[in-house]
Amino acid sequence: MTQAKKIIASGLTEAEAIERAKGGDAESFEALYGLHKRRVYSLCLRMTSNTAEAEDLTQEAFLQLYRKIATFRGESAFSTWLHRLSVNVVLMHLRKKGLPEVSLDEALEPQHEDGPRKDIGARDNVLAGSIDRVNLERAIESLPPGYRIIFVLHDIEGYEHNEIAEMMGCSIGNSKSQLHKARMKLRELLKLSRAEKAVRR
Amino acid sequence: MNCQQFQEVLPYIIESGGNHEAQEHLDTCPSCAELVQDLQYIAQQAKLLLPMHDPSPRVWAGIEQSLNRQGMLQEGRLSLLGHTTTISTQSKSWTPLGWMMAFLASAAFAVLLINYRPQLPPSQSSSQNMDVQPAVTDDQILVSQLAQRAPAERKAYEDSLREVNAYITDAQAAVNQDPEDVAARARLLDAHQQKEMLYEMATVRGLP
Repeated sequence: MTQAKKIIASGLTEAEAIERAKGGDAESFEALYGLHKRRVYSLCLRMTSNTAEAEDLTQEAFLQLYRKIATFRGESAFSTWLHRLSVNVVLMHLRKKGLPEVSLDEALEPQHEDGPRKDIGARDNVLAGSIDRVNLERAIESLPPGYRIIFVLHDIEGYEHNEIAEMMGCSIGNSKSQLHKARMKLRELLKLSRAEKAVRR
Repeated sequence: MNCQQFQEVLPYIIESGGNHEAQEHLDTCPSCAELVQDLQYIAQQAKLLLPMHDPSPRVWAGIEQSLNRQGMLQEGRLSLLGHTTTISTQSKSWTPLGWMMAFLASAAFAVLLINYRPQLPPSQSSSQNMDVQPAVTDDQILVSQLAQRAPAERKAYEDSLREVNAYITDAQAAVNQDPEDVAARARLLDAHQQKEMLYEMATVRGLP
């Protein structure tokens, strides 16, 4: 469904709501909030793993949206534009907390020692069937923020590489490369977790 | 193509499948085939993690309050939850009706939660399945109460209920596997809180 035809409230399309919100119409802004709040909150929660922080960041993202919506020119999808704004809010927050690798540049080039190892010649049992949601969520939380944000955007939220590249201000190739490193790191973490559980039994 | 060359191009071909040369290597190298299988499995499992639940109504209340404070919204406009927003510090005060509805919803949910048992996967034993019945019944009661709602809204609730039950099942399994696992216990609690919020939305607030 296209942005222009999506009916979001009281017969209003998303495009109409955006235009009205640009003019300061509160109800249109509220309709936009209703439409996008879950995705923005999901991103914040997956990046912080903390409900209170995620709520604060969601609030901050929408406040920024209110202030900046007049600058939205429709050159990209509104959801992509809003997500880019939200990504920046999250990364800024993580940087203020003093976590490493959280500026946009650093997020795209995590420190080498955090990178996954090449898997040449190493064989182990496949992961299929051995991980559940809880293990995967825990492993995602353990990812460095730079890897985590790409993984969350692509594999969990379903954004395409070109959209992520736009949000993160990087190339499509860079997005693919970082996603691959994130998955490799997750594989390593999941195998480690499985091995630890096997030892405990 | 050897393993190193294959793994160098893998980030760029894993979605598309790559060229003939890459496919040929994949067909003859169990290690790289295993790697690709794992990475695709992780990507598939990640898709099951969505959607998450909505943010608390506090978020919208906070946005309204901030915008009001800055004079960007009309004062006193009713918000989604039936509580008023003003510039004063008491802006989050609920109306008596709002408090009463929240209390009734909490009481109703508490009763449901006391009787709640997580829905187990089909692989569980039949004796365990006996315990599942009350939970299914509670959920069915909730769904039947929603029968008057619009089909799309009802479906959204049913989908959310199914997802949160699956999440609870996974979290419960992790706790059963290792009762000392603090993170797993926290996830189980979070899953139940998600379900609580769903019940609350169904009985009081309604979907966005």
